[in-house]
Amino acid sequence: MAEKNEDIGFKKDTISKLLSSFFKEDKTRLSGDAVLLVAEMLKVFVREAAVRSQKQAASEDCDQVDIEHFEKILPQLLMDF
Amino acid sequence: MSDDKDETQQRLKAAIHFTVGRLCQMTGEDHQRGFSRQTVAAIAETAFRQCDVFAKDLEAFARHAKRSTVNSEDVKLIARRSTALSIHIQRKTEELNQEKKSTGKRKSRDTEEESKE
Repeated sequence: MAEKNEDIGFKKDTISKLLSSFFKEDKTRLSGDAVLLVAEMLKVFVREAAVRSQKQAASEDCDQVDIEHFEKILPQLLMDF
Repeated sequence: MSDDKDETQQRLKAAIHFTVGRLCQMTGEDHQRGFSRQTVAAIAETAFRQCDVFAKDLEAFARHAKRSTVNSEDVKLIARRSTALSIHIQRKTEELNQEKKSTGKRKSRDTEEESKE
């Protein structure tokens, strides 16, 4: 992949459509900056999930990150966001 | 009508899953430890639901401020639970404002991105 690691992230369009689909009222709009910031939040959320699962797997001496590792870090992750 | 909506939702989910997969692959390479497919799917599903929570909160915050448009102030409120995260989002906001100033000729980022598509 030609992209640099830091460039991996959610597309503005995806996040915009996703958020709009979750709004209860149709008339709610989104500013461009807000979408970019939510995309950043979501990226941090996913990276945090990935790195914490990695650490959990490392502490259990496993070669692969499995769902049980993610399950263990999930409660704290949800409390932090 | 609802079928259409379901399909869009599925596509958005797939898009999230794809990006989550790449982010996981990246962390996997950094730590020499891969993610099982099930784990990637679980993280993607969690991110999708977290987005639902974000959207409902943002909408409520905007309405509380008597606005119908969600702006960056509302996103800052979403990031309030963790200090490091709120500092990070604050810095991101400033970056975005800086960028806007430096591309002075163009009116806004939105018009800029529309012309790209």
